[in-house]
Amino acid sequence: MKAEHIDSLENIVGEKWVDADPERVMSYAREYTNDSYRLIAPEPAEDCVVVKPESALEISEIMEFANENSVSVIPKGGNTALAANAIPDESVVILVMERMNDSIEIDDINLTVTCEAGVTLEDLIDKLEEHNSLYFPLHPGDEGAQIGGMATMNAGGVRAVRDGIMRDQIRGVKAVLPTGEIVNFGNRDGKLIKNNAGYDLMQLMIGSEGTLGIITEVTLDLKPEPPQSATLVIPFESRSEAFSAVPKILQEGIIPLAIEFVEREQILHTAEDLGKEWPAREGEGDLMIMLAEDSEEDIFKAAAGIEKICQDFGSMDTLMADTTREERELLEIRSHFLPAIEDRILDCPDITVPRSELDELMTEIEALSDKYEVEIPLLAHAADGNLHAFIMLKDEEVEEIPDYYQDLKREMYEATVELGGTITGEHGVGALRKQEMSIQYTGRELEIMGQIKKVFDPNNILNPGKIVDLK
Amino acid sequence: MNILVFVKEVPDMEKVKFDRERGVIDRGSAEAQINPFDLNALQAAVDIKNEVGGEITAMCMGPSGAEDSLKEAIARGADEGILLTDRAFAGADTWATSFILARAARKLANFDLILCGEMSVDGDTAQVGPQTAEFLGIPHVAFVWEIDICDKNSLEVRTDLWNSTYVKEMELPGLLSVTKDINNPQLPSLQDKMSARKAEIEKWGLEDFADQGIDEDDVGLSGSLTRVKNIEVPPKTGRDSQIWEDEVEIGLAKITDLMREKRRI
Repeated sequence: MKAEHIDSLENIVGEKWVDADPERVMSYAREYTNDSYRLIAPEPAEDCVVVKPESALEISEIMEFANENSVSVIPKGGNTALAANAIPDESVVILVMERMNDSIEIDDINLTVTCEAGVTLEDLIDKLEEHNSLYFPLHPGDEGAQIGGMATMNAGGVRAVRDGIMRDQIRGVKAVLPTGEIVNFGNRDGKLIKNNAGYDLMQLMIGSEGTLGIITEVTLDLKPEPPQSATLVIPFESRSEAFSAVPKILQEGIIPLAIEFVEREQILHTAEDLGKEWPAREGEGDLMIMLAEDSEEDIFKAAAGIEKICQDFGSMDTLMADTTREERELLEIRSHFLPAIEDRILDCPDITVPRSELDELMTEIEALSDKYEVEIPLLAHAADGNLHAFIMLKDEEVEEIPDYYQDLKREMYEATVELGGTITGEHGVGALRKQEMSIQYTGRELEIMGQIKKVFDPNNILNPGKIVDLK
Repeated sequence: MNILVFVKEVPDMEKVKFDRERGVIDRGSAEAQINPFDLNALQAAVDIKNEVGGEITAMCMGPSGAEDSLKEAIARGADEGILLTDRAFAGADTWATSFILARAARKLANFDLILCGEMSVDGDTAQVGPQTAEFLGIPHVAFVWEIDICDKNSLEVRTDLWNSTYVKEMELPGLLSVTKDINNPQLPSLQDKMSARKAEIEKWGLEDFADQGIDEDDVGLSGSLTRVKNIEVPPKTGRDSQIWEDEVEIGLAKITDLMREKRRI
């Protein structure tokens, strides 16, 4: 980065908030992708500079400077991305949002909370715990994730069955456009339930992975927190029977927070890796169902309804956790799935199909696993049709991408799209899935995406090279 | 082997809030549940029963609502539950609690082994188990993490002794308090939980101990030797930082002083 550019950035945010120290810059340039998928994740480019603005106004000035000088900018949240969504591949300004983390305003009347973009999920949960009844229903995973990052990535997670994903929670965003203008997408205060005026640019901004603008403030829906919760673990002889039970549960009007499927061998291994014990040992795997209701009676009613349906599909004894500690322990084991095998993972496509096709997709992946003689453990958000398919290394010591990877990956994505699915349900496109966009979209569809990017970012300076390539 | 398991009902410590001004726990802020260490005791009882047979009785002293915790104990493997509940029992310290538990155990008479958790998470005293055994005049071992059954009259148990293991043999009847390392409490099945909700819990009040010559002065607050004056909740501490930009020497001196003060150098 040119010294004069660093001077200009220091003039905007102050000398203290511009950092060119290579080691510190690298810690911001990397993201979870580098730790989880080390062989396929690009190493960050050198010669980047970290800038920590404290306001939308400063970001606006930075973007004006960046446009004038053709300097690329990558906004950075909690570094929890998993598809090389914000790893610089050239000398860029890394725009770190962590100073914009003070303001969390709860609005009891409109049932919303307005957060600065750098507020972490943990900060938000802590703040809402002070409030006795309202909560934010999503929990995409790592609590170090920032709300701005969660919005721009359209984060999902296990609790999508009842409450949806980030896209469904957001009432408004404030953002700085790549050209420096500050905008309110959604509406001025982000508190309207109905707003039918014009194109929905807010939804365009959500899930844009930091390519269309820098989100500086997000207004989220809050909900009254159901006081009772429980987690069921329901073992099944066969996976397809477990999947057959899922639509029946939803048809009965029982809407849990989450319906996950865990395979027996993997979940026992994961628990062992944590020094814990998974409660079920029989059968091919379990449905893990998280319930939240208004009363203990309602919990038992829902649980009994679910058990009855599952028994029709050959389930074994339903186990029930209803203390905070036991429920958390189950979720902790389930969430440890990736870390338990991280050393041996090559890639993990988060492919998603209609829930009716999930069993078929898993069968096809098993066939690929046999064909390529590669272990592919699976973790399924069973009600969302969302699958994490872990493509494993045959040899964990290997330092180069193995030959089988490209063909296997392509076949996996093609099978998904063939079943009416998408190449990514949660982690986004980033740099890792960009090549596969053409499997899912037509040339014209991709061209429109490219044109949208150009309208927002005519000089292609904001997180360039992600999602779509500009011609 | 007939086993008596003491269970205490405690607030969910991960959700409970404290009233700092009044110095008390706000019990309305969190659901009540079985003391987690007592779940380990109950699981140990279930494991022994599975090995050698017998009956498990769960016993709890608490308000009438605590029968839900005894039903939960039944869902997790106890055969029956007895609740010691009476206004006169309220406000008991560990002495008065141990006293009435010992009398209740004596009243039950038919037990070979008493198991309880090493302590309660809302009191942290670890006194009730051993004190009860002393009242009963039976042997006891605290902080047990492994139990082997030798024969119908004795057990071999293991506890920690600094970095080594203490192996002890205990004659029965006796009492053990167990740590969380002894086992992983198993989740109950939904069916067992639903059946247990209909279970009848036997309740014993002060008048049920009349034949043992106990009156109000022996139990609850009146029978207690200690009083909790106040609960002080330590304030949340966050990280504090200070940056010396142009005065590095002053900063270094300050850090050195601080480390000396904290006895780190």
